[in-house]
Amino acid sequence: MSNSAIVVRDLVKTFKRRGQPELRAVDGLTFSVRRGAIFGLLGPNGAGKTTTLKMLTTLLRPTSGHISVEGVDPVKDPFEVRRRISVVIQESAADLFLSVTDNFATFGRFHGLSRQVIRDRIEDVLDQFELRPEANRKVMDLSGGFKRRVQVAKVFMIDTPVVFLDEFSTGMDPILKRAIMQRLRREASRGRTIVLTTQILSEAEELCDDILIMRAGRQAARGDINALKLLSGGLYEISVTFSELPHAFDTAVAPYHPLRVDVTQNSALVTVREQEGRVLDLVAHLGRIGRVLRIEVSGASLEDIFIELTAKEREVLP
Amino acid sequence: MSALSAIMFREGKIRATNLTFIFWDLFYPLGYLLVFGVGMTQAMGMKPLEIGVGYNAFFLAGVLGMASFGIASNTAWSFFMDRDNGIFYEMLTYPMRRAEYLLGKGLFNLVVSIVQAIVTVVLAQIVLDVPIRWQSLPLFTAAVFIGTAGWFFFYAIFALMIRGNDVFNTVTSILYFVLLFASSMFYPVEPLPTPLRQLSWANPITWHVDVLRYATIGLGEPTHILLESAAFLVFTAISFAGALWALERQ
Repeated sequence: MSNSAIVVRDLVKTFKRRGQPELRAVDGLTFSVRRGAIFGLLGPNGAGKTTTLKMLTTLLRPTSGHISVEGVDPVKDPFEVRRRISVVIQESAADLFLSVTDNFATFGRFHGLSRQVIRDRIEDVLDQFELRPEANRKVMDLSGGFKRRVQVAKVFMIDTPVVFLDEFSTGMDPILKRAIMQRLRREASRGRTIVLTTQILSEAEELCDDILIMRAGRQAARGDINALKLLSGGLYEISVTFSELPHAFDTAVAPYHPLRVDVTQNSALVTVREQEGRVLDLVAHLGRIGRVLRIEVSGASLEDIFIELTAKEREVLP
Repeated sequence: MSALSAIMFREGKIRATNLTFIFWDLFYPLGYLLVFGVGMTQAMGMKPLEIGVGYNAFFLAGVLGMASFGIASNTAWSFFMDRDNGIFYEMLTYPMRRAEYLLGKGLFNLVVSIVQAIVTVVLAQIVLDVPIRWQSLPLFTAAVFIGTAGWFFFYAIFALMIRGNDVFNTVTSILYFVLLFASSMFYPVEPLPTPLRQLSWANPITWHVDVLRYATIGLGEPTHILLESAAFLVFTAISFAGALWALERQ
């Protein structure tokens, strides 16, 4: 048996549009996902993440290319793929007329669980997702955040080898999100493969052990967080706090062609791509133009890498 | 099989959460028969129609056909509800074939329509003295079952292909108007003006209602009914294929 839970080769998806040129949403994508990995699919809006996910989960047929999920081709045998996956789609999805418990029971039945197993697992997810007080309420009477909990909790009712999560943390409070991230890590360590898309890069940085950044339907970068940081060699983040932001701050920074400058009151975050020596020059220069209370230089964050890799795409946007 | 039972379980749960749904499902055709049928009978002075039966007896099959039609359109409309709730696309990733999704969604409502039809027929006999041919119960059950299924598949094509709820509602209103009135549901087709009569003969509602009328009160020529039954079966098969095609395209 192959060590890859998912294999994607030369994947293309085009959409015909009335009166406009054909849209190539996914354009020759190739990657594989190791069994038991937490794989992050990142990219700006319109990069092709959700389209890729839809093809992997049998919701869309590829225009060309090959996909294998747990050794099964979703085009040739979508039913067999569906038996091996569970999916949290981007949109809020729940049976609004049913109670929380009935939502779980229905989902368990679809996946062929016995009544006893359904009962046991419902107990488990009600506790894990802090849904016990809402167990008998209809989902239509719950807030958006609780509806999302019900949707995500369903994934933990069953044991499919592959889990797809499209922006799973939308509308969730940080404490619950952290608990789910821990649970996802546990599931991965048990051998389940987790594929997630997210716009929250800290989430991917913390959770994913393999990341693919997409841009315009193609791979912009691929690797674990350390490999991505190496890929962005020479990218530094300087965080500085002055007693008072100096007037000469902008002119001091400008010669280093910063990729990003965020100023908040007397603090600034500057991202530059420079030689180490030049970065030290900039630090020294900042010390000369004002009274520095705190200064810190670090390698780039995933967010910096993401912005740099997807910058070209953004430049062409109106 | 587990997918089919899961969908039926889901549909049943949804229906059971609202008592109004259940009441409406079971007694709507009876209410129609009592209000419209009795009203028409009184207005026409209790005289039997030229075909030799009273209006209540004649209209019973029309009411049953209308109920099948109504249940089918409501069930098809629930695709919109599922889509609005987002669950539609999530369900398409569940371990079931598209045909199972379609059949399962229809099956629960077929059971409801049969219970509804039996309640209506029993009470029509007790309350309105309609002479029911109980020996034709198997034909009657098959007519209700296949009739509701056919109309559900037919409506599902529109519900799956049309994106806007308002457009779907407009289409169903037009279909209601044309299909229900250009048919043998409310009146015998024979005395109608030629174009309307021809339209009625080509209308699957007429085929469906005629079979129900033969099964309940024995009105109609057996060979003609056989032909209409075959035509309705073909209509159901084509509608199923169309609905499946529309679901595969989602």
